[in-house]
Amino acid sequence: MTVLVFNELRKSYGETVALRGVSFEVRAGEVFGFLGPNGAGKTTLIRILMDIIRADSGSITLFGEPHRREHLDRMGYLPEERGLYTKQPVLRILTYFGTLRGLDRAEARRRGREWLERMGLEEVASWRVERLSKGMSQKVQIAATLLSDPDLCILDEPFSGLDPINVRLVEELILERRGRGKTTILSTHQMSQVEQLCDRVALIHRGSLKVYGEVGEVRKRYSLPEVRVVAEGDLPPVTGIQKVEYEGDSTWRLLLEDGTEPRDILAALVRAGARLERFERVLAPMEDIFVRVVQEAAS
Amino acid sequence: MTRWRKVRAVAAFEMLCTVRSKSWLITTFGMPVFVGLYAGVVSIPIYLETRQARQVAVYGVVDEAGVLGLDDEVAVRPIEIPPEIRSAVEAAGQAEALDRQIAWFRNFVFRPFSTEERARAALADGAIRGYYRLAADYVATGVVESYSPETRTLGGSETRRALDRLLVERLVRGKVADDLAARVSEPISESRDWLITKTGEVKRTEGAARAVRVLVPIGFAVLLVMSILMSAGGLIQTTAIEKENKVVEVLLSSANPDEILIGKLVGQGVAGALQMGVWVGMAAIAGVGFTGALSAMGVEPPWLGMAAVVLFFPLAYLFFGSLMLGTGSLGSNQTEAAQWGMAWALLAAVPMILLEQLLHAPHGAAARILTWIPFASPTVVVLRLTVDPSGIAWWEVAGSLVVLIAGIWFTIRLSARLFRVGIMLTGARPKLSEILRQARLR
Repeated sequence: MTVLVFNELRKSYGETVALRGVSFEVRAGEVFGFLGPNGAGKTTLIRILMDIIRADSGSITLFGEPHRREHLDRMGYLPEERGLYTKQPVLRILTYFGTLRGLDRAEARRRGREWLERMGLEEVASWRVERLSKGMSQKVQIAATLLSDPDLCILDEPFSGLDPINVRLVEELILERRGRGKTTILSTHQMSQVEQLCDRVALIHRGSLKVYGEVGEVRKRYSLPEVRVVAEGDLPPVTGIQKVEYEGDSTWRLLLEDGTEPRDILAALVRAGARLERFERVLAPMEDIFVRVVQEAAS
Repeated sequence: MTRWRKVRAVAAFEMLCTVRSKSWLITTFGMPVFVGLYAGVVSIPIYLETRQARQVAVYGVVDEAGVLGLDDEVAVRPIEIPPEIRSAVEAAGQAEALDRQIAWFRNFVFRPFSTEERARAALADGAIRGYYRLAADYVATGVVESYSPETRTLGGSETRRALDRLLVERLVRGKVADDLAARVSEPISESRDWLITKTGEVKRTEGAARAVRVLVPIGFAVLLVMSILMSAGGLIQTTAIEKENKVVEVLLSSANPDEILIGKLVGQGVAGALQMGVWVGMAAIAGVGFTGALSAMGVEPPWLGMAAVVLFFPLAYLFFGSLMLGTGSLGSNQTEAAQWGMAWALLAAVPMILLEQLLHAPHGAAARILTWIPFASPTVVVLRLTVDPSGIAWWEVAGSLVVLIAGIWFTIRLSARLFRVGIMLTGARPKLSEILRQARLR
């Protein structure tokens, strides 16, 4: 089921074109990676979605209906440029953001306490924000975003400023949401997290959609026909291999000839008596895909 | 469409943050304490001076002209207080204070000396504070010489006035009829004033009533400009803080600019009203007898003007506050934002600049025109209703209200658009044309 559809969105700021007819969909319950270099138009698209600015043309369908402001109560947004009221106590801010998302005051306060506990921050409820460390502040902002348990949540660089333990905590929160059928749009420059967390991705550059699809499928699409083999002893020669590269530690990287499928090589190696411990398709990392797409567009 | 639930959330947060801030608490409760302490400090020298004055002040008189006919010391009788003032002061519970002040005049005692040498000797001994000499040709010349030590002068107006009263009384005593002598001594014992309206109706009025009719609108005008300036400071600060703290984008994704703007206006307005309430309450406690004093003077409190204040002040706050919030959000820092605020505050002060003319002709052309201009109408309508309610037609009041409300609707919408553009601005400020273009595009 689709929760969000962008249809031919266009937006310009004077002479500068920010979006050139962007269209893609986000499905219910998935973690969707929204990628692009700085200035690609990601923030513009998100701001249009959050009704902060209006598109010049195009349309958005949210939760199966034309985009309406009322839908925003079912959404959460952690912007890249973010902060908190430095002079106010943490719990008051959480309560405020909860009431802005449609919760009543008592419920927002209760959930605020719950989220602080979940984030390991129960002792800071009465602290002024200015007392918090950067990491603490970041976690409070994530709590404020997720407080209303939004059906669709946009997290723009949620891991910046977090140590590895807290990165894992936030990753778990995102995966837990996916387990409950909640949708998360994750905008990040950390491609390893995209590979780890996202089901599907869209990559935009200079206001145009360049890459869109399931993460595995996208990685396959941009990968060479290569397999990695870990085997005991020497690797027997088989047909259909263009190039063999030994990576050390009983590991080989095989570049396949055009038209040869990895399963054909696997069968041939087994028939030839290779003692295989591991056989896998070598997929291009998302980081390489990102760089390649952006560089190709630039050239 | 404005969702009032969001407005309420913004307003509650704004109000709570403001009234719990140290600066608000200090200003609200510290200001009256400060004013009280200041009044106390200022009153100390006045108290000491009064106390000194209450001691009997003996002056010598060398009457070579023989007009006073003094055989012994004489105290000058107290000044007469107009009956309407006395009853007003009594109604305000200040009769005792008045008597204390009047008693001050009783302390002038004039002691006769047969020669100037004796008077000078008494002065040297410190028995008198100084002495006056009425030369033999005094009646012809009117010249009175005063003698005092180097450290003191007899030129004080109160001493001189006491001698004046004594001279007038003694000059006519026995020479004219008693009632005429009393009238010479006090030519005007009571003043009765009348007003003639445009329709030719003759109405009784008193000086005090006129003073009230002038002072009340001045007070209202000052209060309006003050409250606008103070509230604007809060409004501008709250937006600047949100820009600095980068919470703007989250806010705009939760509520639309109209809701945020109205919420801020209401929240800060309630905080401002609370502050005013505390001050007015304290002032009322301090001056509880004020209303009684007015009615004792025969002055009807300006109920119509006061009702207009209750109606027009919140509207004036919404009008100016929304303008300040909208344009203030365009400032890249608090100083720039404050400059925008000052521009509107100056417009709010226009009726004060024209106050003399408006008081002189409350229903003149200037007043009538300003009644229809929302920048001035709150002050001008209140002023006209206070000075002379009979001169302003009901449709003028209703019309100015309608124009003001329409102005608020327009300024809130305009300010919301500017606010939407301005609140997202960081760094260098774009040109006005670009701001207006974006505001139009949204």
